[in-house]
Amino acid sequence: MTDAAVAVQDLRKSFGALEVLKGVSLTAREGDVISILGASGSGKSTMLRCINMLEIPDGGVVTIGGETILMRKTRRGMQPADPHQVDRIRSQVAMVFQSFNLWSHMTILENVVEAPIHVQKRDKVEAREEGMALLEKVGIADKAGHYPSHLSGGQQQRAAIARALAMRPRVMLFDEPTSALDPELVGEVLRVMRSLAEEGRTMLVVTHEMGFARDVSNRVMFLHQGVVECEGEPQAMFADPESERFRQFISSHR
Amino acid sequence: MDLAFLWSTFTTLIEGVPLLLELAALSLAIGAVFALLLATMRLSNVAVLDWTAQGYIFVFRGTPLLVQIFLIYYGLGQFRPALQDLGLWWFFREPFYCAVFALTLNTAAYAAEIFRGGLLSVPHGQIEAAKACGMSRAMRFRRITLPIAIRQALPAYGNEIILMVKATSLASVITLMEVTGLAHRLIAQSFRAVEVFVVAGAIYLFINFVVTRAILMIEWRLSPHLRQPPTAEAPMKPEPAHARGA
Repeated sequence: MTDAAVAVQDLRKSFGALEVLKGVSLTAREGDVISILGASGSGKSTMLRCINMLEIPDGGVVTIGGETILMRKTRRGMQPADPHQVDRIRSQVAMVFQSFNLWSHMTILENVVEAPIHVQKRDKVEAREEGMALLEKVGIADKAGHYPSHLSGGQQQRAAIARALAMRPRVMLFDEPTSALDPELVGEVLRVMRSLAEEGRTMLVVTHEMGFARDVSNRVMFLHQGVVECEGEPQAMFADPESERFRQFISSHR
Repeated sequence: MDLAFLWSTFTTLIEGVPLLLELAALSLAIGAVFALLLATMRLSNVAVLDWTAQGYIFVFRGTPLLVQIFLIYYGLGQFRPALQDLGLWWFFREPFYCAVFALTLNTAAYAAEIFRGGLLSVPHGQIEAAKACGMSRAMRFRRITLPIAIRQALPAYGNEIILMVKATSLASVITLMEVTGLAHRLIAQSFRAVEVFVVAGAIYLFINFVVTRAILMIEWRLSPHLRQPPTAEAPMKPEPAHARGA
């Protein structure tokens, strides 16, 4: 398992009496693009958010690049044993959110260089140059000096992807990156994500975009009520779904 | 209209302006730090801290500043031996310190609630994004939460600054000769209450005019994201000097 970029074992999480994750495991090797599908409430976003400890799992083990996040039992349930370790691991695991979550008081370029400069303590000039190159790459270099509120949803999400890339992450987590977008803006974001996949980046993508799951990812995972219902190669899974639930799911999302 | 008298009144009262500004600036500065502490106590989710801050705010917002000033200057003066034992008498025997103390405690109570509102208004998602890229709790607060909260709280806090400028006039009741104190003395000498108070009022009005403009300017500087995007050919913000020098 040493070559795993992300390994999750037996992840469990409850919100009050509601058990959202009932023991989910996942392994992503370097360069894997894994699409995580499932109906709303299936636990797919919660699982993604447990990987970088935005949600604290009640049980299970998360390992990023061979380093296991240490947990300890407290009166409030399981907590990370070392906040510094969590911060360090988070800086290697970039996340792109459904609602973009760009920092509203900073320009687009400032958003992109914030973490490289302040968290990773990289050289400012170099970070800005790299930031501009990333904005170029996602096609919004002309918006570098604008504020998030000046951009369309698609542009904001591409800026958020540039912000994630700027951290030179080992793994990228996408939490329904196109779900908050108007239909005509979905394509521009998916194109950027596809180009990242082609570069060989390790990506975990929670999505409702069946086209992306089928054509871009090399593995698909289908969650149902907090457990992995089925997973495998996208071609095989979509061509001949072995699970009746997955068959119903894809037919309702076509 | 006796222009000569108005002018001489003006030159007399203007001498109280430095004291007025000192009272306002000192109490606002110390009060803001105290208020931030109270606001974080209110939001700490620790019941004891929250209740302590709530109780403090309740008392100091619910009682008149005039009464607070009297209690601190005259009231505490009755406990002189005890204060001397504690080594605090040098502080409480000075009307200036007492006035700053009362104004500080008062503004802290109001500003705490303003700051709390500002902190609560910071969108959760933006804090989460800061967490997700590995910012520590302190860095998150300094780089993301506080800057956004300040922008939210500034209009209401500007109001508080104006109220404090006017509240300094109450310091005259404990012998301080700021603008209102000087005005009282001048009236006692000249018996021309209307002219003197008109001039005094005009001085406060002018100071608050400047304060209002300054707050508007800061608001404008801090909120480019609320205006139209730059339309010029060069949308890039000029690099700050510190970034180039690095």
